[in-house]
Amino acid sequence: MIHAISAANRHLYEDVIEQHFCLRHEIFVEERKWETLRKPDGREIDSYDNEDTVYLLALEDRRVVGGHRLYPTTKPSMMSEVFPHLASVRGCPADPLVWEWSRYFVVRDRRDGVLNLQLMAAVQEFCLDQGIAQVSAIMETWWLPRFHEAGFVVTPLGLPALVEGAWTMAATIDIRKETVDALHDRVGTTTVVRQNGPRLDAVARANTCGLAAAQRKTA
Amino acid sequence: MSAVDYGREALDFIEGLEAYSRVPDAMGALEAAFGRFGFETIIVTGLPNPEQQFAQMVLAKRWPAEWFRLYTKNSYDRVDPVVRMCRQSVNPFEWSEAPYDAQEEPGAAEVMNRATDFRMSRGFIVPIHGLTGYEAAVSLGGVYLDLNARSKPALHLMAMYGFDRIRRLLDPRPAPPALLTPREREVIAWASRGKSAWEIGEILRITQRTAEEHLASAARKLGAVNRTHAVALAIRSKIISP
Repeated sequence: MIHAISAANRHLYEDVIEQHFCLRHEIFVEERKWETLRKPDGREIDSYDNEDTVYLLALEDRRVVGGHRLYPTTKPSMMSEVFPHLASVRGCPADPLVWEWSRYFVVRDRRDGVLNLQLMAAVQEFCLDQGIAQVSAIMETWWLPRFHEAGFVVTPLGLPALVEGAWTMAATIDIRKETVDALHDRVGTTTVVRQNGPRLDAVARANTCGLAAAQRKTA
Repeated sequence: MSAVDYGREALDFIEGLEAYSRVPDAMGALEAAFGRFGFETIIVTGLPNPEQQFAQMVLAKRWPAEWFRLYTKNSYDRVDPVVRMCRQSVNPFEWSEAPYDAQEEPGAAEVMNRATDFRMSRGFIVPIHGLTGYEAAVSLGGVYLDLNARSKPALHLMAMYGFDRIRRLLDPRPAPPALLTPREREVIAWASRGKSAWEIGEILRITQRTAEEHLASAARKLGAVNRTHAVALAIRSKIISP
């Protein structure tokens, strides 16, 4: 199962969240060599890990085996702050119905395909349920055909460019019922996401963030 | 053209692709778009496993008929250094960047030289790596090319979307059912031909131990009790042909 973890139910998952920060360090820093993310305490945490982040983490018992996170684009996002040049043709989205999707990872011993499909199903299922219309992403371009194969409708926002030696692009991905249904069919289940504890209203939360940003601007 | 112009043109092309409902029309659009960069030939193709024929993997092409005849007759895909590099690279590259040893690999030298007789003296290839080990490519050839640091990212994206459009028009599901890696499928294919782990290691230029590990993980994923059983299951689920 892929667990949706946000400020609303994080108290049920503190151990899992900690474990996932360490895994991210192992995978993104040690394995993929994104040196700018290196942290002395071995926990990879950046400015988009805060009370508005939603984590979708694949758990086997209490072991994290993969995951990704979502972040409202009504706040400054990785795309708008770090990679705006990748979205130079169409621009960066800033919309309560568009959430930034990032830090996709799978632990080494689960990279045989099934979990990838479940993780892709999870982002679609969670967002569809929350009424999120699109996710935006900074992604390695070689993943595009993999997303296509999963039935994702991916719209580029600009041309790819080299980021730390890898061709990288900015895009939005539509949240669609057909995509969710096809993925559920492929993984052989009717649901992959589990939301324990108090329920989150992601779009309301994004609206609050947008309001706060607007007030900061006028002040 | 400036980088922004390349970007706009590529994104407009990608948006327009959805309008084509037939493969020949989509290929016509690809031909026109890549033609503006000087490309004269296009092939959209899966990459064959040891037991697959190249000709059966091709999704669509604009190749000189005589070159396609030569390429398939001589099984050039087995020696083509561009195909070899394509399997190992997630990044697009120029054909001239694919390394080979002209002395040690006369076949590789032959395919590269013969291609120039068909106005394919230069080229650019975009590798496609699917979710479940499906390997494919869009390869573009020509003589006088607008191929530079600004045009390549545009070609990269256009080729990937071109591939996806053609793929969906032909068949919505390109991927094999089992979730084996390309290497695992390769070792199973060779095992089905009676090769030992040592021999497979020699063929694929990996150690015997690595070959055994690939065989074991393939067997585990297929739910097989041993190597013979794994081969039987792989044939039954059409991962390899008998």
